[in-house]
Amino acid sequence: MTSKLVPHIQRQIVLPTSKALEIAYKSIRLRLSRSLLVTSGIALALAFLMSVLTSEKLNDSMRRLATRDSVPGHASMIQSVEAQKLQQLMRSNGVPIAPTDIQADGIQTRWLLALALMVAFVGILNSMLMSVTERFREIGTMKCLGALDEFIIKLFLIESLIQGTVGTALGLALGLVTSIAGALMNYGSFVWRAFPWWDVAESASVSLVVGIGLTVVGALYPAWHASRMQPIEAMRVET
Amino acid sequence: MTTIEIPNDGNRTPDLVEHTVRTIDVKRSYHMGNEIVHALKGISLTINRAEYISIMGPSGSGKSTLFNMIGGLDKPTEGKVYIDDVDIAQLDAYELAWMRCRKIGYIFQNFNLIPVMTALENVQLPMIFAGMNTADAQDKAYEILKRVELGHRIKNKPGEMSGGQQQRVAIARAFANDPAIILADEPTGNLDLQTGKLIIELMRSLNREKGVTIISATHDHKMLAVSDRIFWIRDGKVDKIERREDLKIETGSIESASGRDIH
Repeated sequence: MTSKLVPHIQRQIVLPTSKALEIAYKSIRLRLSRSLLVTSGIALALAFLMSVLTSEKLNDSMRRLATRDSVPGHASMIQSVEAQKLQQLMRSNGVPIAPTDIQADGIQTRWLLALALMVAFVGILNSMLMSVTERFREIGTMKCLGALDEFIIKLFLIESLIQGTVGTALGLALGLVTSIAGALMNYGSFVWRAFPWWDVAESASVSLVVGIGLTVVGALYPAWHASRMQPIEAMRVET
Repeated sequence: MTTIEIPNDGNRTPDLVEHTVRTIDVKRSYHMGNEIVHALKGISLTINRAEYISIMGPSGSGKSTLFNMIGGLDKPTEGKVYIDDVDIAQLDAYELAWMRCRKIGYIFQNFNLIPVMTALENVQLPMIFAGMNTADAQDKAYEILKRVELGHRIKNKPGEMSGGQQQRVAIARAFANDPAIILADEPTGNLDLQTGKLIIELMRSLNREKGVTIISATHDHKMLAVSDRIFWIRDGKVDKIERREDLKIETGSIESASGRDIH
């Protein structure tokens, strides 16, 4: 594409995604300890989210099983004697069966959950801002070499996405394992009688969206801030 | 953004542009709080193709502002700056980026290499921005690194190299896309005397070899000896312009102190 005024000036400058991935990956490795800290923060918050969501589904499923509400595909499997056994198990393990108890429990958990996600979000934001500040000169240099604003945004978003995806994946696994372990302790092998596969998959997708969403939103402002850096900054001498 | 493939050698202008840089009555003022600072008070100069220019001047003289202007890093408040006969005020962000990538090579006092990349990758980066494929960029980067005598350090990261070596990688990077102009901001400022000399020598020989215009802001008197012309900037204006021939007579002492073994 050529401008009308100046025929020999063109405007095509590229940053292939593979190269952007490589640069982002390398800069994560350079700041590995901080990256690990942020990633584990995301992982823990997401593990919490995942385990809360999954435990809720598991508890619901078990409650329905115990009260012999229709559990599709499982209702016929359970005998009333076994339902009694499950109820006894729940009572002895202190699992709430009455609706009012369940609600009170839920509200408290939701507050904790919001707090955990907030901490993870601030962690990402802070880490990306630090990463931008540390790399002022690097960004200016890239701009002198012809990098466009989009390149800089792309680099920082990819960097954050890598951390977010790894953290979220770890969190999902951890959350799933802990909630199943908790359910096994409360309900024993009854868990497998009515394991809510679809509901758990749904929880996983919700957590995935939340985790990756948090990282992208947390990186947007720092990335935008970095992209507006003027190339002159690279020329300034500050050692 | 457009993604049309453009042949890599299509960026050089075939027509003969004698003047690589031209400024016409360039003024630049900044707002500093309530005050207006006039950094440049009307500078007109012309730099020819393949010239080696030094811009000298005390700090606060407007030297850096002029330098940024010539490099397309800043736009004038008044007046015009032409780079390769293109008025830079007319360029949009994409065109400016293209120009920085293909027409201008930058060399900095602090080398400014990307710390996470090896020497080879640093030199490759501008070529990748310019749309060259990785294999070609790699070959070309290796050739240029060999030219600056760093063929054996291509896998090293900046942190593993000496200042002089880093600056040579930076020079190789500046030459990556065969630019028309090389802008060097105090290129020897962070180097010891001997290394500084080698760097100046290298820049001068590349200037001759490739016919590229080199414009360097400097305090280093070693640089004067190799410059075709020297612009002395004082108080936002061109104080005087000296040719090297004149300089040799006027400042013979500087020549003999530092310039002799450069040639």
